Amino acid sequence: MRTPALEMSNGFKVEVVTTQNRGQTPEEVAERCINKIVGISVTADPVIRQQAEAYKTQIEQVIVHYMKQAIQSDRTTVYNVLLDAGEQKLADLIRRL
Amino acid sequence: MAFTGNFMCTSFKVEILKAVHNFTNSTGNTFNIAMYDNNASFTAATTAYTATDEVSGTAYVAKGNTLVNVTPTSSSTTALTDFSDSTWSSSTITARGAMIFNDTASGDPSVVILDFGSDKSSSSGDFTIVFPTADSSSAIIRIA
Repeated sequence: MRTPALEMSNGFKVEVVTTQNRGQTPEEVAERCINKIVGISVTADPVIRQQAEAYKTQIEQVIVHYMKQAIQSDRTTVYNVLLDAGEQKLADLIRRL
Repeated sequence: MAFTGNFMCTSFKVEILKAVHNFTNSTGNTFNIAMYDNNASFTAATTAYTATDEVSGTAYVAKGNTLVNVTPTSSSTTALTDFSDSTWSSSTITARGAMIFNDTASGDPSVVILDFGSDKSSSSGDFTIVFPTADSSSAIIRIA
């Protein structure tokens, strides 16, 4: 009997996401996030796969929601830091974002 | 002189057998990802980080970003490890590829060479490297 050799493949690939004159939206970040959390095997049973896809979509929406809340909350923190520093105009700019 | 594909460095394979690298989260080594322009000519024979042809730009510093390791695990009979996605925020950068290297180990030994396929640019925005799904067929580093 032959013992299979250990193998380290060059078959890997990263993706690059860039933006111009803006950051990434919560939806864009959530899409990357959900792909880290939920992996669905290409060989999975179609019914299981369908359930997993539905679960993935639901979780992605939850992530987007809480990500938006985190952004708003952080802006409140930044708003107050600017206000404390006497930067009323800048603070208002952040609040209106 | 150009990127010609993705490579796992041969020296890295040897160094694994010599216990040079530790990918354990928090307690392991520090791994960085540095980016390069298309004048860089890396192959599987590349052995260590170099500043030659490394990109420059707003929000980019030499040696690139520190990566967050995901502690190695296994899926069926394949061992694998992963990194969290890496972002240069509010950046203006153009890069054609990247190198992951061990910033803890002596000589900054290289791990993998990543070819983006074409020049990628951010302009007053985010430049994010998205690592593949951490499974037995796609993970960035896996031993089958």
